[in-house]
Amino acid sequence: MNKQHYKTVLEQTVAPPPDPEARLRARRAAVEEFVRIQARSQAHSKDGGATATALPARARSWMVQTRAFALAASIGVAVIGIAVTLPMLRENPDLLSPPAAHELTTSTEKPAEAPPPTVSAAPVEPATAEPAAESPRVLPRSEPFSPPPGQLPLAPPAAEVRAAESAATAVEGPREELASAIDVPAKPTGIADSITSEDIDKFPDTSTAESLQRVPGIIANPSTLDPKTTQAARESESSEVVVTGARAARNARLRAAPQKRVSAPPPAITMNHGLVEPPAAEEYTGGDRFRSFEANAVKQVSAEPVSTFSADVDTASYGFVRKQLTQGLLPQKDAVRVEEMINYFDYAWPAADSRETPFRPTVVVSDSPWGKGRKLIHIGIKGYELPARQRPDANLVLLIDVSGSMNAPDKLPLVKDAMRLLVDNLEDDDTVAIVVYAGAAGQVLPPTPVKEKDKILAALATLTPGGSTAGAEGIRLAYELAEKSFRKEGVNRILLATDGDFNVGIHNTRELEGFVERKRAKGIFLSVLGFGQGNYRDELAQALAQNGNGVAVYIDTLNEAHKVLVQEAGAALFTIAKDVKLQVEFNPATVAEYRLVGYETRALKREDFNNDAVDAGDVGAGHAVTAIYEITPFALNARMLDESRYAPKEGTPAGKGTAGEYGYLKIRYKLPDSQKSRLIEQPINIDAGRVPEAIARDIEFSTAVAGFGQLLRGGAYTGALGYDDVARQALAARGEDPFGYRNEFVQLVRKAQTAKGL
Amino acid sequence: MEIEVLIRRAQGGDAESFAELVDLHYDTIYRFAWKWCGHQANAQDIAQLACIKLAASLGQFRFESAFTSWLYRLVINCAQDWQRSQRRHDHDDIDAGEDVSTYSPAEDHIYLMQLLGQLEDLGEGMKETALLVHAQGMSHAEAGAILGVSESTISWRLHIIRRHLGKREAHSVGI
Repeated sequence: MNKQHYKTVLEQTVAPPPDPEARLRARRAAVEEFVRIQARSQAHSKDGGATATALPARARSWMVQTRAFALAASIGVAVIGIAVTLPMLRENPDLLSPPAAHELTTSTEKPAEAPPPTVSAAPVEPATAEPAAESPRVLPRSEPFSPPPGQLPLAPPAAEVRAAESAATAVEGPREELASAIDVPAKPTGIADSITSEDIDKFPDTSTAESLQRVPGIIANPSTLDPKTTQAARESESSEVVVTGARAARNARLRAAPQKRVSAPPPAITMNHGLVEPPAAEEYTGGDRFRSFEANAVKQVSAEPVSTFSADVDTASYGFVRKQLTQGLLPQKDAVRVEEMINYFDYAWPAADSRETPFRPTVVVSDSPWGKGRKLIHIGIKGYELPARQRPDANLVLLIDVSGSMNAPDKLPLVKDAMRLLVDNLEDDDTVAIVVYAGAAGQVLPPTPVKEKDKILAALATLTPGGSTAGAEGIRLAYELAEKSFRKEGVNRILLATDGDFNVGIHNTRELEGFVERKRAKGIFLSVLGFGQGNYRDELAQALAQNGNGVAVYIDTLNEAHKVLVQEAGAALFTIAKDVKLQVEFNPATVAEYRLVGYETRALKREDFNNDAVDAGDVGAGHAVTAIYEITPFALNARMLDESRYAPKEGTPAGKGTAGEYGYLKIRYKLPDSQKSRLIEQPINIDAGRVPEAIARDIEFSTAVAGFGQLLRGGAYTGALGYDDVARQALAARGEDPFGYRNEFVQLVRKAQTAKGL
Repeated sequence: MEIEVLIRRAQGGDAESFAELVDLHYDTIYRFAWKWCGHQANAQDIAQLACIKLAASLGQFRFESAFTSWLYRLVINCAQDWQRSQRRHDHDDIDAGEDVSTYSPAEDHIYLMQLLGQLEDLGEGMKETALLVHAQGMSHAEAGAILGVSESTISWRLHIIRRHLGKREAHSVGI
């Protein structure tokens, strides 16, 4: 898109000189305002109101702000001020000409003392076009550091630290090498998440080690990061940097040359094979716990025509999968929830335009890339986007795990950074409270309005890890605080930031879930932000978030925190519909078989659909939910199941007027403050008509993601589909991708390719 | 030093000094506004607002920072106010009549507009950060002081910007 470097564009694009008239108008307006303020101060601002009414509202508010200034100015000076304006006005007759059409803010009032202009002066010279610093800047340091040829096959995440000289240390991040280790160097497609020397320069870090640990797979010894460590110690970089080179451990080439040490000053780089040593199998299991589930099977329409499931807007699975793949590990199958991977991305489904009916389903039928003759039905819904002024006030309680297990760079420090981002993005009227839990739960900050942001940030900064985890106590305290500052009209939500380790306190998970569920009825919701790995309890995080009408997201990098807490803050914080259930009834006359891709953990019984007491997923402002069915239409020789011997052949005759439909979609939802569900319904037509280009492209992309997720789960239903096909399809459908998430996906697919090859 | 004298006089209520101050800085204000919005007439509007606001708030300038830094903050505030008022009042006017300037090559202008759009999409403060550091050549600390955020926030924003914009450039070449 940009053929030029963006810095050059910013620096060198030259503004056209301003219109001399505009310049004069601005000058006159400003001077008039100046004179008026002086005059007002002369009259002790008593008659200021009358003058001000001639001004637009904005200017008036400025005057109010500057009243103190106006009062302070002395009367005499103001008189002189007016007097000296006169010669100036004479010089510029244009000052008194009638305001031009384009004029914005000047009042028609003129200083009473101004005599009619008698002298015409030369027009003010047009502005010169050159900005002050025009010379092109050479920025050699902004070039990403590329590894010299001949050393690329080294597998990541072996960070190689070279000390060229003590002042400048050049570092290649493992992901950079990872990128080059695959086929990327020829065509760089994704985020080269390298730590270059420039990055280190730009990071707000105090040491190279601290910068290095921003890359997944590298952990700096916490003492390096401890602010109490003396400056001298940090400067010498003598602390330990641990590279958890799990994948590298199995790389023979690397074993031959297991580590590179820096001569001086030496951060000791340890290849710690034992730390995240993967099991013999290719798949990583680690200590993270996931609920195990089987992929949805193919169903015969004649036997089971109705499919029901709950909406799922969580994205935790994608974050975890990404983290694993980035380290060169295939994620364990149960960590891959295909629907969460699909829903990680934002699609162009048209959003609804009223808060009352917050969805407008988009249904598109396309050919399936996974089997000849089969079709895909995409069902996309996008939640209503709350305009900023409709955003309710938020009453947030941050419940932060500070137990000893959070003492890892991708845990508590990342939590703090993420929370800072969140606070920066809140409005002044919102309130934030902070509760921590470890050996004992404690309130760090009472509910504080965001106006006093400094207070909140200071409280965040004091958090340090230590002790064991009393998760349940912390949750109780957090709810107490949330109730204390409860906002009837606003959003009341607890954000639980944890690595999922609840090993002290309520032992019974069910009890905890029940507690969260009861509080939900009172209007306090809970979202879970997952961090770190090793003992991540995805299952519990999911359960709590589902019971708390919240989302569960997994945050592995600050960039992800930015996506979740800033870009999509509306979605994470403001629920626009709860208990969203989807049901599709297939037409036995046109569809032989169907299979729902993903949503295994969200399946509902058919009768649950109309039962408002049954809980289901919630959708936040702007959230997109996408579901994909793969179907086998009749009259096609692509069925996966044998025909039933006893069922009527070739389907049942179509009901009246339904021969052109594959099925019928129903969506049930409740508005956030309602207990009664509403229904949206529409038929799924065989011929859906023309699909707008943006939607067609997103259909392609979501299909690629779905294919990838299924491959990671073993690819039982994807036929001959390979990672190559997925990458190609995703690349072609990448589209605008303003934040690079889709590129990142393509990179992940490539990483999965090599991870598998080991 | 002369500028300081001028400011002190204007703060004392001297309209002539104030007018001179405006004359001296109008181009700076206008050019920054232009880079901010990429549109001549809009930039002139913003510059005018900024000049008026300068009249009202000059008294608050305490010589604690460079005058231009203080001025940039004022212009940014005006530009943001302006943008909000545009969104509130007439939606059609924003995109209407993008002037193809005769001074900058048209291509450059298109890039700039694209870039501004992308920066806006990146989130609040991103555009301002990029402009102050890359277009005005300010240090992270200066930019932070102007935008009222910490130096590290500026660094972080630039990092994000580089990641998103730098990467897109790489694609256009590579693929």
